[in-house]
Amino acid sequence: MSMLPQLLFTGVSIGSIYALVALGFVLLIRSANIVNFAQGEFSMMGAYFMVILFAGLGLPYALALVLAVVLMTVFGVAFAWITYWPLRDRGQVPVIISTIGASILLANLILATYGPSPQVLPGLFDGTGFLVGNVFMDSQYLSIIVITVVLVALQYLVFEKTMVGKKLQATSQDREMAALLGIPVVAMIFGTFAYSAALGGLAGILVAPILYVSVGIGAMIGVKAFAANIIGGFGSIPGAICGGFIIGIVETLGAAYISVPYKDAFAFVMLIVVLLVRPQGLFGERIAEKA
Amino acid sequence: MHTASSRKNILIAGGVAALAVLGAAVVAPSDGYYLNIMMQAATYTIAVAGLVIVLGYCGQIALCQAAFLGIGAYCVALGTVDYGLPFFVALAIGVVVSGVTGIFLGFATLRLGGHYLAMVTIGFQMIVTMVLTNWIGFTHGPDGIPGIPRPSLGLVDLKGGSVYLGLCLVVLVAVTVYAALLKQSRLGRAMQAVRDNEIAASTCGINIFRTKTVAFGICAALGGLGGGLFAGAFSYISPDQFTFNEAIVLLTMALLGGVESAIGAVIGTILLVLLPEWLRFLRQAYLAVYGGAVIAIMIFMPRGVWGLVVGRFVKSRPLSDDATAPLPLLARTGEVSDTIVLDVTGLAKHFGGLKAVDGVDLAVRKGSVHALIGPNGSGKTTMLNVITGLYVATAGRVRLGGRDITELPPHDRNRLGMCRTYQNIRVFRGLTVLENVVIGAERAGNDVSGTDATVERAIAALDFVGLRQVAHLPVGDLPYGHQRYVEIARALAGSPEILLLDEPAAGLNLTEKGEMAALLKRLKGHGTTIVIIDHDMRLIEKVADHITVLNFGRRIADGDPRSVFKHPEVVAAYLGEARHEAA
Amino acid sequence: MKLLEVEGLTARYNAGDVLKGLDLTVDDGEIVALLGSNGAGKTTTLRAICGLVPHVSGSIRFAGTQILGMKTAAIARLDLAHVPEGRRLFPGLTVRDNILLGSSNRPGVARADLKREVDAMLDFFPDLKPLQHAYAWTLSGGQMQMVAVARGLMAKPKLLLLDEPSLGLGPLIVQQVFRIISQIRERGTTVLLVEQNANMALSVADRAYVLEAGTLLVSGKPDALWNNDQVRMAYLGGLAASA
Repeated sequence: MSMLPQLLFTGVSIGSIYALVALGFVLLIRSANIVNFAQGEFSMMGAYFMVILFAGLGLPYALALVLAVVLMTVFGVAFAWITYWPLRDRGQVPVIISTIGASILLANLILATYGPSPQVLPGLFDGTGFLVGNVFMDSQYLSIIVITVVLVALQYLVFEKTMVGKKLQATSQDREMAALLGIPVVAMIFGTFAYSAALGGLAGILVAPILYVSVGIGAMIGVKAFAANIIGGFGSIPGAICGGFIIGIVETLGAAYISVPYKDAFAFVMLIVVLLVRPQGLFGERIAEKA
Repeated sequence: MHTASSRKNILIAGGVAALAVLGAAVVAPSDGYYLNIMMQAATYTIAVAGLVIVLGYCGQIALCQAAFLGIGAYCVALGTVDYGLPFFVALAIGVVVSGVTGIFLGFATLRLGGHYLAMVTIGFQMIVTMVLTNWIGFTHGPDGIPGIPRPSLGLVDLKGGSVYLGLCLVVLVAVTVYAALLKQSRLGRAMQAVRDNEIAASTCGINIFRTKTVAFGICAALGGLGGGLFAGAFSYISPDQFTFNEAIVLLTMALLGGVESAIGAVIGTILLVLLPEWLRFLRQAYLAVYGGAVIAIMIFMPRGVWGLVVGRFVKSRPLSDDATAPLPLLARTGEVSDTIVLDVTGLAKHFGGLKAVDGVDLAVRKGSVHALIGPNGSGKTTMLNVITGLYVATAGRVRLGGRDITELPPHDRNRLGMCRTYQNIRVFRGLTVLENVVIGAERAGNDVSGTDATVERAIAALDFVGLRQVAHLPVGDLPYGHQRYVEIARALAGSPEILLLDEPAAGLNLTEKGEMAALLKRLKGHGTTIVIIDHDMRLIEKVADHITVLNFGRRIADGDPRSVFKHPEVVAAYLGEARHEAA
Repeated sequence: MKLLEVEGLTARYNAGDVLKGLDLTVDDGEIVALLGSNGAGKTTTLRAICGLVPHVSGSIRFAGTQILGMKTAAIARLDLAHVPEGRRLFPGLTVRDNILLGSSNRPGVARADLKREVDAMLDFFPDLKPLQHAYAWTLSGGQMQMVAVARGLMAKPKLLLLDEPSLGLGPLIVQQVFRIISQIRERGTTVLLVEQNANMALSVADRAYVLEAGTLLVSGKPDALWNNDQVRMAYLGGLAASA
């Protein structure tokens, strides 16, 4: 049992990554009603931008990080322009299929360029970490948690306190009405894509030193972020964050106490159980009646 | 007549195709590269046909077809190699195991929206790959299973390459014929109705959940069938042949060929089995091309290659002018009787704090035309939605012919004879006018239900509304007003006990409104009970025997037209509170 | 001065004409009512003016600019506000934020000024003041209508389109809504009002148009329309009109 605190620390840290990606995911659902199946590939792209800028071009770490995130916003807009915009009036299924196509395209472009062998990226800090009681606080795990908390808090402030945040919320709640008020709805949606891509990219850069940078990273993170969304309640922001933490903790504990090879399966088992038992998720609003 | 002949055509085409492929298999090289390609194409197409049924017919996303392919393949491989079962027994087990798994998976997720299904199927796909790789004691793990034998059938030895290919091709032809027949069957039409409009499908008597689950089960079983044959074809399988990437390849095949038809599955699979050979120079990037192709197909070619061909070259023919018997419900005569056929008591529907309907009584006499009127937002359509079962009542009871139906789902109410139309037209856009109306005729309680006479009944209903000439056209090609008539014909083809019309004249111009009034008059007096909502008072006063007026979710007047229109509260509800000097 | 000039407006939905060559004008400072039974094309007219109807032809000039074919948000930024049917508040935002967002057509205004404007708006709608931090979805229908109108006024519009403000409201609340509409006129805002409640609308309007099946049936001053049989007919049918 003495392992438990250490495992919880690891679980919360990994869960933070899922939460960050899930956050980007849920924002797209809320602003444009898009279920983006390439959300995980945003993380992969972020990590590979970092590989190019830092390992390839030899830029200083901080500069490379900032540039990579900026590139991700551009990438997010391009992504929206190609996979979403032409299909915006055709219902949900074509957009879902198109984002799945995009995820395959991106993963395999990277595979063709870099091959299957993982790339290595360093963490934010050189130091390895320190002990608190009998829990070893790895510096990278700790910084992931801190950055996630800061980003979530920041996003809350932006959404609740600024005019832009309120316009984004308005757009997500009633697009036509937002346009009637003079809110540039299209810019809002593309902006959400850019932000969501940046968030995913940052998550990818943060997790890279732990998981290594490989092609599979995107799909793995993406499906778990989606599972986090459903477990937390589809379309709910606090739900996405909590769902991320829950999956991170459960799979870390599961890997330690039950089975390592099936580590990635725990999220899906939880997902299917939640769908059967409580389909609206932990924080879900009741599924509205419509006719 | 109509369906029977096209069914025969499909069977003849299938027979010819089976002979042709057998011949082709005999002259095909008995070994080597092209044989392998053809085996792969044939076995994959069977699985892709499953996707055509679930995605193309039923409109549900399944991203785990490679998992079902894998389940079928592993059942055959483990069954024959480890447990010494005969090939065809192992194959049957594979089909059953995949099918049952598919039904279970569908059960867990199909009540929810498309994205849940997409993600759960991805998750399931990944779990299957993980189990195949890691459960080494059972599945042999990542090394895979070599030495899978091919079967013999009685005295016929199917072990030779080209003979086995012949078997695969015959199965493929059978599956294609099955898929084509399914599309024209009652189940297939139900699937397409669910795809096009779930709400209308449910009030046409289709059990949405069961239809989707069956589609998913068929898709999974076909995946298992293709996989089992695949195992025999290559005599060696390993987990990496059944990954998520392969699931995407299968999906791309279906989309490229066109998900509307099994022919699309054949075209898409052949193209994509050959494509990697042509794209060999791209090496690993070929999957990236697949990904790009998926996006491009969605944007530029949503109906796939076969869809393009059909759209351009295949023109449907109008129906012949052969006379059909008129609708039986018009042959009846029936005066308005005193029997109450629809009895609604204390009905309430609250949405949170909003009391859309709040304790309304409604007694509809058999054979009468009963109008439900009131200003916008007074609760009329909500009332209709509760009566037909789309909404669950907050309080009150609904009785139809003395039977309490308050708790029944929409499709069971339809079985008891309740048919309706919608204010915002809900037709099945992917189907022709005739097919839309045939779905109405297939109502479970209808006298012709389950027979070929449904087509004749549908034509009779189209004759009644005057749309026989356009019966062969896709319903979306019709002008708005005519789509309303399609909805009415769809309801009438089911010989309803009670017909509920929600604003049949909305969006019609003055001439069309006149025609609608004439049509309703022709319908009147034959014993069919009609409940009608409309805002056009001139239409209402022409047809109604009885009027109930709602305002703010409550009943403010009830009686014959003359007295209701003079009721001061009704005048106030429509024109507003009278100004003092006017009063 | 003519603020809004609509000429030969034709609108199609699903291959059916909803409006057929409609002409109407609204002068600066007027309240104009657009009447007619359900399905006559009133709401479609307002939606077409706001750029929400995809298939339209004809001409719509607003303050001298041809706005037919322009994007909805761009039209709004010409200071044309629309309070649509069903209120359409943002349910997950507070009353205050809903009103605040009404100023989205004027993006340059400083945050502090906007705060003062919202406070002033809450003074104009004293019933809303105690509710300003409540979420919009918790309000009653009448309160929602007030917020919707306040949000529309926050645009400081040259023209305010009001679609069925009395819809689903009880008689007392309807009177309150119409009191507010006359107060709006006193503030100098021009209003184009769509209303099913004909008597109420005629009591506040300077002029009115009556539509039937997408065309103009009759137009004129309220007194002339007051007991017009054609108007009664359009609403209640022949039985009531002959009564």
